[in-house]
Amino acid sequence: MTEDLPPLRLSRRRLTLAAALSPLAALPLPVLAATDPSAGVAHDGGDIVFLIDSLGSTWIPNNSAISSFQGHVWGHVTDKLVYVDADGKVSPWIAETWEQSGDATQFTLHLKGGVTFSDGTPLDASAVVANLDIWYAGRVKEGINPIGLFPKTYDHAEAVDATRVKVFFKAPTLGFIPTLGYHGSILVSPKTIASPTAQQADLAKTSGSGPFLVASWKEGDFVKLVKRKDYNWGPKAVGHTGPAHLDSITYKIVSEPSLRVSSVQSGQADIAYNASPQELKSLKDAGFSIRTPRYLGFVNGWALNTGLAPFNDVKVRQALQAGIDRQEIIDTVYTPDWKLATSFIQSNVPGATDHSGLLAYNPRRAEALLDQAGWTKGRGGIRTKDGKPLLLTLYSNPYLATSKSVDELIAQQLGRLGWKVDIRAYDVVTYDQKVRVGGPAVQAYEVTRSFIDAGTVASILTNANNGENWFALGESDKTLNELRDKIAAAGSVEVRNPLLDALQTYVLEQGYFIPRTQIVQRIYVQSPGLKGETYNGVAYASYYTATKSKSPA
Amino acid sequence: MSTAYLSCAAKRLGQAVVVIVLAYLLTFVVVSILPGDPITSVLHDPQNGFTEAQITEIIAAQGLDKPILVQLWAALTHFLVGDLGLSMRSSRPVATLIAEVLPSTLVLASAGFLVALLLASTIAFGSQFVPRRFGQGVLRAFPSLFLSVPSFVIGLVLIHAFGFQLGLFRVIEPDSAWATFFASIALGIPISARIAEVLIANLDHEARQEYAAVARSRGLGPVQLFARHLLKPSSLPVVTVIALTIGELLGGSLITETVFGRTGIGSLVQRSASTHDLPVLQAVVSLAAVVFVLVNLVADLVYPLLDPRMKLIGSPTRRPTSADDGAPTPAVSG
Repeated sequence: MTEDLPPLRLSRRRLTLAAALSPLAALPLPVLAATDPSAGVAHDGGDIVFLIDSLGSTWIPNNSAISSFQGHVWGHVTDKLVYVDADGKVSPWIAETWEQSGDATQFTLHLKGGVTFSDGTPLDASAVVANLDIWYAGRVKEGINPIGLFPKTYDHAEAVDATRVKVFFKAPTLGFIPTLGYHGSILVSPKTIASPTAQQADLAKTSGSGPFLVASWKEGDFVKLVKRKDYNWGPKAVGHTGPAHLDSITYKIVSEPSLRVSSVQSGQADIAYNASPQELKSLKDAGFSIRTPRYLGFVNGWALNTGLAPFNDVKVRQALQAGIDRQEIIDTVYTPDWKLATSFIQSNVPGATDHSGLLAYNPRRAEALLDQAGWTKGRGGIRTKDGKPLLLTLYSNPYLATSKSVDELIAQQLGRLGWKVDIRAYDVVTYDQKVRVGGPAVQAYEVTRSFIDAGTVASILTNANNGENWFALGESDKTLNELRDKIAAAGSVEVRNPLLDALQTYVLEQGYFIPRTQIVQRIYVQSPGLKGETYNGVAYASYYTATKSKSPA
Repeated sequence: MSTAYLSCAAKRLGQAVVVIVLAYLLTFVVVSILPGDPITSVLHDPQNGFTEAQITEIIAAQGLDKPILVQLWAALTHFLVGDLGLSMRSSRPVATLIAEVLPSTLVLASAGFLVALLLASTIAFGSQFVPRRFGQGVLRAFPSLFLSVPSFVIGLVLIHAFGFQLGLFRVIEPDSAWATFFASIALGIPISARIAEVLIANLDHEARQEYAAVARSRGLGPVQLFARHLLKPSSLPVVTVIALTIGELLGGSLITETVFGRTGIGSLVQRSASTHDLPVLQAVVSLAAVVFVLVNLVADLVYPLLDPRMKLIGSPTRRPTSADDGAPTPAVSG
């Protein structure tokens, strides 16, 4: 991976300087920002280096496509049937057009002709069927998982001819087409799909149809992608369909966040992923582009367990909803790049409606509600009822770096209202073991979850049809069940949107879901010379359309 | 070679196999006690959106819900015939994973070891022959200083000074010559401290011996005295320290590897330990056990070369021929 980076310029002067400075090495040295505002003109070609905290675990396409890390690589190596932009707008990609039956149980996809995978296999109807089948079912015995959010109502698909696929569902599935643009739905060659697990785990052996190819990779180190010269089937929505402008992209793991940022500052790399929010302002002032795209999904917030005290009482849930100063979270932990939550789903999701009124900070109302619920302030300002303190245990979400800081701030805010807040922070493995949504000791589960279609939301909330029963309600809340069933049965967006609005109002009013802020799980710090990248509905950056200005030699 | 020597070697080899199998079993026990494994962990990633029922089903399909002993037996029978299995985390063969990262670690470890040896012998030499008014005391304080500065601090300072400030190397190319050089300095400094401490103590001890006084009285200069008479008897305990250090160099380079962003055994262990990737951890621990056993074996074989009195171990027929009454114990550090 080193061969095409500029060689080190060694001179006697530098060496002397190095020798002279070596006794000073014990002193902390400020990092030199080598930005050049007068960067030259954009041109074709160029190599970029993207510094990332991790590249996940396995590369089996089904098991890694949804990863916040590997998703970046998959987005360049593979294509999808449809494109979903940052506002959730669905547009053609490999599927040029599609039709659906009136009840949304049958779909026909018309594919673009002449598309091939990098191993030469054509991306035709039979290849799409093979992909749909493995997304739905995986090969569980061999360790290939299904795609979690792929519609569970899928029945089967058949290739009508080379460019037409018919897909059948057991029940109305309005979310099917948007799901095809979800990061889990990447098209890989049928040869790859047929290969055994250990081979699928070797990234170099996987063939996609995307604008870049895997040139080389080393686990835990880097992945280098090079441009595919005969690519000409990009999504029209990004304004470019031919081969990529850049020659190569290298994803390089640098686990230390400050090291990633310093490397971009000193011009050694082009993009640093997941910088800490506190650093962003100074970086922006220094001329770097900061991107904080929001994905389509749930906002960052808590799903409350109504099976556990004190959240079995609606008044306490409503008190919590009113007792959080969300603006202070943005002012203290984040920057103005973060947005206030307006619902429990992100405001860019089609079908999301503005419920800011329900999320306003109103400490007086919160205190009044707690008083009504019988929680009275005792010694030390902590409220008690029947001798028990008003306790909230928070498990900071290890998938969101800022989670603990937000927890700490909220603990202060709630402390003023008489809550006793305990914060537990675990590593990912321990967290996965101990903290489950609706788990026996988990009062509030912190949600970080993307989805493409708002229709999937309703089915997650209860336990019907393999739902996740987020609020531990089971089938007990009739209103919620009714909304869920109507949303699932809706055959068109026009029918569904008012129902979604009603669902959002109900869930927030009942205090089932307590939003914190709209979520930004992917933060990009980019050198000023790199321009024209695009961000899709799941907030991944694509450098397919990007150009890099020639840096002055 | 005598039969005594051979039977001794066979015994040691047998011990080595036992040590390695025990290390393998211990890793299994320790990792099994910890909750969680990489497969379940990936399934629980909230982005996946699997329900508990689906997760249980997938785990069962892969046989991960079988009793511990059944799993252990399956793993052990494969291990004993040299099959290290597949990583649970990445689903790739463990042998491939190790082969991928081993060269990087070997390069760093040998470079770090060289740096440590050079530094240690320089300091030790200085501790004997630099006049007190020119800072012998300061020189003697170096090992304590080196030991008390953590290697990651040294590493970060080197990166900032030589990587970012002077641009001698790019942080994102940790395998380049300059980056390796600075990483080996960061790794070598703390290790040199231990070697230097033992070496200085023994040199002090030897320099006070009568034979050294005799040599000096016959007009031998400091360099000759050091090289011809003091170094050899003082190195014996150093060999033991070095043997212990080499194991540490391979495993303990984790921090240096992380700081410099190198992908070696250390980073493989870190990745595997954080996700409880049992097959990889077992293979790496066994590999480390093999290295420790081998290095200690080599150290034992080197002793007789440094001190001929050691040859009598294992062959009771021979007697020492040295003048000082046949005490077989070597000079121990003071």
